[in-house]
Amino acid sequence: MKRLSEKLKIAVYSGNIPSTTFIENLIEVLSEDGFEIFLFGKKKKEMRYNENVKLFPTPVSEIKLVYFVLKEFLILFLKSPHLFKKCFGEVREKSRNIKIFFRNAGFILPVLNHQPDIFHIQWAKTVEQNPELFRLLKCKFAVSLRGAHINYSPLTDKSLDKAYRKYFPEIDGFHAVSEAISAEAVKYGADKNRISVIHSSVKDELLDLNPEVHKKGSKVELISVGRHHWKKGYHYALDAMKILKDEGVKFTYTIIAQGEIPEELLFMIDDYKIENEIRIINGMPNDELIDLLQTKHMLLLPSVEEGIANVVLEAMAAGIPVMTTDCGGMKEAVADRYSGYVVPVRNARSIAAKVKEFISEESDVKRELIRNAKMTVRKEFTREKQRAGFRNFYENVYGK
Amino acid sequence: MRIGMVLPEAPQYSETFFNYKIKCLKESGYDVTVFSGKRSKNKYFYKHIAAYPVYKNKKFRQSILFISVIIKTFVTSPYRSVKLAGKEIKDGSSFIGAVKILYMNAHIITHNLDWIHFGYATMSLNRENLAEVMNAKTGVSFRGYDINIYPLKNPGCYKKLWGKLDKVHSISDYLYSKALKLGLPGEIPYRKISPAVDTALFKFKSDPGSIKSPLRILTIGRLSWIKNLETAISAIKILKEGGTDVVYTIVGFGSEYERLKFAVYQSGLEENVIFSGKKDHKEITKIMNESDIYLQPSYQEGFCVSVLEAQASGLLCIVSDAGGLKENIIDGETGWIMPKRDPEAIAEKIREVMNLPEEKRKETAKRARIRVEKEFSLEDQKKKFSEFFKD
Repeated sequence: MKRLSEKLKIAVYSGNIPSTTFIENLIEVLSEDGFEIFLFGKKKKEMRYNENVKLFPTPVSEIKLVYFVLKEFLILFLKSPHLFKKCFGEVREKSRNIKIFFRNAGFILPVLNHQPDIFHIQWAKTVEQNPELFRLLKCKFAVSLRGAHINYSPLTDKSLDKAYRKYFPEIDGFHAVSEAISAEAVKYGADKNRISVIHSSVKDELLDLNPEVHKKGSKVELISVGRHHWKKGYHYALDAMKILKDEGVKFTYTIIAQGEIPEELLFMIDDYKIENEIRIINGMPNDELIDLLQTKHMLLLPSVEEGIANVVLEAMAAGIPVMTTDCGGMKEAVADRYSGYVVPVRNARSIAAKVKEFISEESDVKRELIRNAKMTVRKEFTREKQRAGFRNFYENVYGK
Repeated sequence: MRIGMVLPEAPQYSETFFNYKIKCLKESGYDVTVFSGKRSKNKYFYKHIAAYPVYKNKKFRQSILFISVIIKTFVTSPYRSVKLAGKEIKDGSSFIGAVKILYMNAHIITHNLDWIHFGYATMSLNRENLAEVMNAKTGVSFRGYDINIYPLKNPGCYKKLWGKLDKVHSISDYLYSKALKLGLPGEIPYRKISPAVDTALFKFKSDPGSIKSPLRILTIGRLSWIKNLETAISAIKILKEGGTDVVYTIVGFGSEYERLKFAVYQSGLEENVIFSGKKDHKEITKIMNESDIYLQPSYQEGFCVSVLEAQASGLLCIVSDAGGLKENIIDGETGWIMPKRDPEAIAEKIREVMNLPEEKRKETAKRARIRVEKEFSLEDQKKKFSEFFKD
């Protein structure tokens, strides 16, 4: 056991440095809270972290990788000839060819040489990739349960389904982003008692924003944010916009999504003749996004699958009314007609009906809704609460 | 008469439409050559010439081949080559661009043809001047994606083609009308030749128009957003919640399996929806025979042969009002048409059909079979194809 004065060393592992926005947020939150954070994986971009974050990246280029692996093997040999022998044997056995040998060695060696106390896997799918190599590590394992990896990937990927069932019982602790996803993970053999639900958080300063509310009966400006992917349900949103247009409702709808616009959406916009109402913007930096959000009347989340969408929390904090489907853990953040609007998944008619309801609502009601949403964020989705959640989680996992 | 058909790939066995088209033309005395983008080892019953390859990662190999092909083409067809390159430059390409266009057409330009026919409108891109320099005529077929979707991503892509066309074939009036909106001049001669079905291969059910319990619904098609199977799955959910015992079989494969599988899982329909993957003709006739209703919920459709096959087999067909489907089914006569993308409407229509008197359903199935035999026969299609290049 560590003495209290010593910091727990947590490897936040997603495979890439930097990782996605919310994992980078997590790194930030944890590193400010007395943990030592180790980052392993491929370095894609130069990043600046505070002094509690230590990077042990694996090079991407082949020549550098060879040098890196040889160097790390030597360090391991000097540290522990026994572990060196074991590691070398295991990597050789698990590698079909020399290229994979170097890739596997490049992955596991820095972790062996800088043993963390807890290896925290951010993407559940990772458990399938190197289970035998993970066994070389003498540390605790934590796995985050988020989105697609739990909710639908194993439905069509039978080998992933099998891997979850095989390795989940060996994991020391799970971090679930929502109650809903923790229930899904239990189906694959995750021990319910080892799952901690820790909601994500938003920056406190968003709570100070107070944009104007929509005036009853006026044109409504809607916005959605999130990558182009079927799970985001933009096609259902466009179906709803068609219904609104047919009913003579005045509106605009902006989608902020990175990448090429899918054919499906292009075809829908053309087919429905809603070119003038719809605008699709190819990505946007977060601060600009917050500015844009404040000019809109409502954030719409038409998804069919989510953990808890961070952009909804951000909008709630910033005082923009939200409408979400009841997918994933969304209902843990939004209560219908209390802190926002909730509609069933895969249901364009409901979206259209609720938008109309919103338009015809008095401003006071909308202000009340915004107040309640801010209160929800203050209670459930603050940095402080997330920090405390992880502190507890890691201490439990480590002390187990 | 010598016809060059330009296709992305030489038609495989399963692509009955093209195979049959080529066969018809040959039987009518035409000399048909298929020009395709890809080389293949298969044996064909027609002349088949593949384009010179484009290597993405082998620059050296590509340069050598490129130079030798260009030299060879200039030597064998000097007049045509110079003329094509000249026309392309006049149309605004750079010199390199023009030579590249010559390379991608080098397998065609050396042949003597009376017609160059593009199997899809997209096949005509960068080939618009080809027929003119070869003293041939230009024909094109509209088939669906090429008119419905490609121009959305590439506005104005057929502007050049419209000026060069001698004749247009479309599988539905719908696609033709859409092409007119894209700028196709109305004075260019147009023929609609719908897909046909060999009714001998699809046996009329012994109990046409019957409804069993559980209700057996079938869709055949790629797992793609175009087919709008998500809407159908939502409709099945509504039926189930309304107390109908239903099994929905989806035959086909495609890139959106995960999306659909999740829709089924999320809707609690794992017992009711079966993805049976790709099936061959024999298996399909068996599945047709064991189904009651054929559903085509498509968001867009050029015409849809599967709906013809289902009608030939004696199934009750319910289709969306997308694209060419309205020409495929006569609403209330040979099947039923409902608005696309509306699960409530699909569920409602299925209930309505279930509640029809047995006799009414049987009559509908019979009328559908008769219409398919009469209006979508292979004989008829053959006649129309042979006439297409005549006048």
